[in-house]
Amino acid sequence: MNRRARIPTLGGATAYVLHRAHPTAQTLVRQLSAIGLTAIDCWPELPPAALSADFVFFDVDLGFDEQFPWKPGEAPMPMVALIGSEAPGRIEWALFTHRANAHVLKPVGTAGIYSSLLIARQNFEERKQLAARIDALQARVAERHTIVRAVAALSKDSDYEQGFARLRLLAMNWQTSIEEAAGRVVAMAENEDGNDRRHHA
Amino acid sequence: MKRRFEIGILYSRSGNYRLVSDACRKGALSAIADVNADPASPVALAPVDYDPQGNADGYAAGCAEILQKSSARHIIGCITSWSRKEVIPVLERSGGTLWYACPYEGFETSDHVVYMHACPNQQLLPLFSHVVPRFGANGFLLGSNYIWGWEMNRVARDLIADAGGEVRGERYLPLGETDVARLIEEIRATRPGFVFNNLIGSSSYAFLRAYAELGRTDGHFLPQNCPVISCNLTECELEAIGAAGKGHLSAGPYFHEPRGDDRGGYRPRSSFEAAAYASVRVLAEILADNPDAGWEDLPAAFAERRFETPFGATAIDPRTQHATLPVVIGRIEDDGFRIVSRKTDVAPDPYLSRYDRAAQFGEARLRVVAP
Repeated sequence: MNRRARIPTLGGATAYVLHRAHPTAQTLVRQLSAIGLTAIDCWPELPPAALSADFVFFDVDLGFDEQFPWKPGEAPMPMVALIGSEAPGRIEWALFTHRANAHVLKPVGTAGIYSSLLIARQNFEERKQLAARIDALQARVAERHTIVRAVAALSKDSDYEQGFARLRLLAMNWQTSIEEAAGRVVAMAENEDGNDRRHHA
Repeated sequence: MKRRFEIGILYSRSGNYRLVSDACRKGALSAIADVNADPASPVALAPVDYDPQGNADGYAAGCAEILQKSSARHIIGCITSWSRKEVIPVLERSGGTLWYACPYEGFETSDHVVYMHACPNQQLLPLFSHVVPRFGANGFLLGSNYIWGWEMNRVARDLIADAGGEVRGERYLPLGETDVARLIEEIRATRPGFVFNNLIGSSSYAFLRAYAELGRTDGHFLPQNCPVISCNLTECELEAIGAAGKGHLSAGPYFHEPRGDDRGGYRPRSSFEAAAYASVRVLAEILADNPDAGWEDLPAAFAERRFETPFGATAIDPRTQHATLPVVIGRIEDDGFRIVSRKTDVAPDPYLSRYDRAAQFGEARLRVVAP
């Protein structure tokens, strides 16, 4: 059954507001605490503790790469861009370099902040899950060569259909993926080769 | 010599939630009369009335007219969340403040609104804490088809899931719809332990009457077995419901106790009337201290202070501009509500950021969730 998505509770979460001292930062901190978050404003750098934050709001108008204690685009939490001037270069910096998960337009009012938190978190989680799936798929693609070698090792008289059927059966019996079973078959085949070579030496 | 202030009154005098609107308007006007008659108050209030006639689109226009054509900067008004959300942009543009005297679904904090009635941690959560141990966690959710019903039922779905229960059905009716036959059949078929009613006005009265009829033919649906529970039902609508309301439960910050001890002073007939009355009294105190007080002065005016209102000594959170309120659960009897539980001084938590599943239902009721 598909479990219904649920709006997360934000109480107790921590947000850093990376913005110079300004009514925008004050309004944002006030609204974030009204929503139940602990909000901390800072400028020009994020303090070390920001690494464990749940959200970072960052100023797009005056921001620069060195403010962040991580490589551009690799923030470990959802990032919300604070956009004042909609200069294309600045938006590009926020969107492509720092991969903002959501944005809020300045001047900041009471509206828009709650939804930016939910949208940023959702985007961040989806992106993380997608990246994990791509990693897993890439790892499987990388095992193609191993599968070919395992099928070859399991095939008698060059009957590759039969070799692949054996590999699939082994994977089922071992309760592993085809790629992992292939890895084991190849390792066993190499061991036997080594033993054979030692015996013949 | 009193200083005169105009204040806006934005309540409909017709339409399908007229009874609630009348109660709020009566509360506001009673408070204006009391402030004007109070020789100790330096403030005299003059109401600037606008009647949106129960039309959701009339509220933004009315709000704009009050702010443009009079000197009023503060408006007591709005019943539905739909209308409140319509007026907020007007208030932001014109620098006005709305004093909102109705329970609402939370998840909002506008600098331009003071929320004087209960948000979900002051009605819905305590109501479910009371109901689930007594009637089980399987509920049927009803609502009028707009934001109040949708959002209250959304939170209710989460609470029912956390309590290990099942949502037996969730149905919405257009505002003003009174054909409830299908709802009643669905409730009969799914046999919930309680019905959470977020219908408003005439739809709600029609439903309660039909549900009482259902109870007469099937004992499972008598209020002692499967009550209808709500967070917006007060004395001001009991007459329209009649005997059909008897035995059902409602949560709010105040009920007019028929046999309560009368300590003198103003005793509103419902929490709507009480909240509108409280709004005007708090505003009058603030204007007495600072005649120019506008929306931007309110957080400082609320800080570290309590105001005398029908709810008791009332604090208003300067960050969220929501009132700290009593939480009372009442059961409808012949002549009004009988109090079945009461808590005082429940601080507002409009975003439910302090919600704790274990504290709400106890560890034993927590659903086992797959990792």
